[in-house]
Amino acid sequence: MSMNRLRAGLIAAAAFTAFSGAATAQEIKLGYNGDLSASPSAQSGQAAVLGMEAAIADINAAGGVLGRKLSLVTRDDVSQPPKSIQNMTELVDNEKVTAVFGPTNSGNAMAWKHIANQKKVPVIGNVGSGTDITKPMSPGADNYMFRVSMVDREQVAALMAYVKKNGAQSKVIGLMAETTGYGQGGLKDMEEIATVQGIKPAAIERFGVADTDMTSQLSKMKAANVDTVVVWAQGTPIAQLIRSMEKINYFPITLTSWAADNITFYDAAGKTLAEKPLFMRTVSETRTPAQQKLFDRIGSKLKAPGSFSFALHGYDSVLLLTQAMKEANSTDGSAIRVALEDLKTPVTGVLKTYNKPFSKTNHEALTAKDFVWIRWKDGKLMPYTDALLSTMTPADYKQ
Amino acid sequence: MVEALLQALISGLAVGGAYALVALGFSITFTTTKTLNFSHGEFVSAGAFIGMSALFLVLGKPLSSTTFGDAVPGSGAQLFALLAALGVMGALGWLLYVLGVRPFAGRPGMAWVMSTLGFGVILQSVGLAIWGPKPVVVPAPVGDAVIRFGNVGVRPQELLMLGVAVVVMIAFDWVMSRTMVGKAMRAVAANGAVASLMGINTNAVMIVAFVVSSALAGLSGFLLAPIAQASLFMGLTVGLKGFSGAMIGGLSNPRGCVIGGFLLGVLESMVNLWQAQWREVAVFALVILVLAFRPTGLFGSKLVEKV
Repeated sequence: MSMNRLRAGLIAAAAFTAFSGAATAQEIKLGYNGDLSASPSAQSGQAAVLGMEAAIADINAAGGVLGRKLSLVTRDDVSQPPKSIQNMTELVDNEKVTAVFGPTNSGNAMAWKHIANQKKVPVIGNVGSGTDITKPMSPGADNYMFRVSMVDREQVAALMAYVKKNGAQSKVIGLMAETTGYGQGGLKDMEEIATVQGIKPAAIERFGVADTDMTSQLSKMKAANVDTVVVWAQGTPIAQLIRSMEKINYFPITLTSWAADNITFYDAAGKTLAEKPLFMRTVSETRTPAQQKLFDRIGSKLKAPGSFSFALHGYDSVLLLTQAMKEANSTDGSAIRVALEDLKTPVTGVLKTYNKPFSKTNHEALTAKDFVWIRWKDGKLMPYTDALLSTMTPADYKQ
Repeated sequence: MVEALLQALISGLAVGGAYALVALGFSITFTTTKTLNFSHGEFVSAGAFIGMSALFLVLGKPLSSTTFGDAVPGSGAQLFALLAALGVMGALGWLLYVLGVRPFAGRPGMAWVMSTLGFGVILQSVGLAIWGPKPVVVPAPVGDAVIRFGNVGVRPQELLMLGVAVVVMIAFDWVMSRTMVGKAMRAVAANGAVASLMGINTNAVMIVAFVVSSALAGLSGFLLAPIAQASLFMGLTVGLKGFSGAMIGGLSNPRGCVIGGFLLGVLESMVNLWQAQWREVAVFALVILVLAFRPTGLFGSKLVEKV
């Protein structure tokens, strides 16, 4: 390109930026940074964005916040930490967003949570479930990371509480996890909470995320007389694990991470085997009227009906942020953080009513008591209950 | 314990079948052109998606669907899908040779490494644009019910893959050592210039090598999809493991490649029986050990460079 053309291009670009800046100066920009295209978790990211867009449309229709309209800037991180970090700086420094939502992959949140904290930009995670995302950078430090989604450690606490309570049938416990960061993080949580509950795992086995045959690991479980396995892995490897169970005809009681809710799990395991594991989610496929209304609006755009839960997280995360902006009467990051940590008015979301969801020390809007037990039934994620679950009390959920 | 070992053996052979087929694909281009298709793994993924799309076509679903639902394609549809995977991938192999290898083959430098790698990246990106990242469960042509020998179980598709790998190996071995085409291929590999002077159309031989190798990738993808699910990322692991199998067995020896693939599969399965987290370490330690003591692989012929 010649220098002249380059210069002309730059001027045009500058003029365009100035123009578009003027047009949207009145809008409050919110950012989304997560996977929208690259990995299986992209489905969850797309669903969260649909939910957020619906919430923004509703809020704008009701007159916006602080007399201004909301708008959403989405950035695809294609599941890559470097790209996710770059997106974060771009959203904060160039787009000047008020808050950021996402990401889909917990590892990416860990890669940039220091940016959010340094630049004082509130982040509300609505997909990734990694336990450490919402921990402050150092004890007592101001923390800008909030979440309206599943939390790994809370799930593990509930699964282990069930295993403990089910002592009559679960006598010998085995733990299994995939060798990714997700699997190993979950395994660490499982081992710690097992210790707290006084459960001593008889076997701990690992498998690769792309493995198609886990019979060797299962043979060891079988040899150790394991009658209950708790599994931490993504949807597809859990399906391969259950298919391997079928090969050696060994079906212990199986509790898994919530990834078994993914349609890829159901497809891969097949109808009969998919009904084996028990897991937790934030919502089942039986919907409240408000949830049904949202589903009617965006359901047809979802790649998989099961990913609707992320649309609910997305919707509610925007509502919570909006309420905080109102109470802070400002779009300043630290004012919003303070308001979020002490919301005066309960917020009626589509998942539940949030009454003081966050505090200085708790940045999780959803905890174990908000989760529901799920088992696949005829291709649907149905709520599961048994005699044992009805006797579980908050005291059982040891952390 | 015996049961667990037998299960590990048969599971390992089943996984090894996939590695063996991929290893053979590497071997074919290496024995003829002394180049490798570094995107062989992506070709395997592409083959799986071509086969899957052909099934969708027969079932009257849109090509970019991501689920079969309850639809079960008949054997006619599966045969059509197999032919489509072989044909389309073969054609892609020809394209790869013309665009990415011929301009660079035989010249100093490693331009063909980059161009074959790049071809794979393009394939994967196009695939992502069409089908997205979601893995697709593909119905197996031979059913999905577990076959049991006592308490040892295996799925029919895994046995099929194992069988096909052995049959393809025997056929390839026979072609290479007994037929005119095979002799021409070996001549081109030994010395392209001399082969050309002897009246062998070296260009045609190289095209055949790339077409066959890529069609083999298509076959691997078609057979692997019902086991591992069709995913644009599935080729990455099998590609690397298949290549490792080829290195262990000997790149220049098709029989060695297949045996190397099976060996690797069984090794993985046996390590899983011990401590699964050490599996990758064991696999690549073996590769390094073999290369250190037998640089041309366990079954490879000695490399003699005449000056």
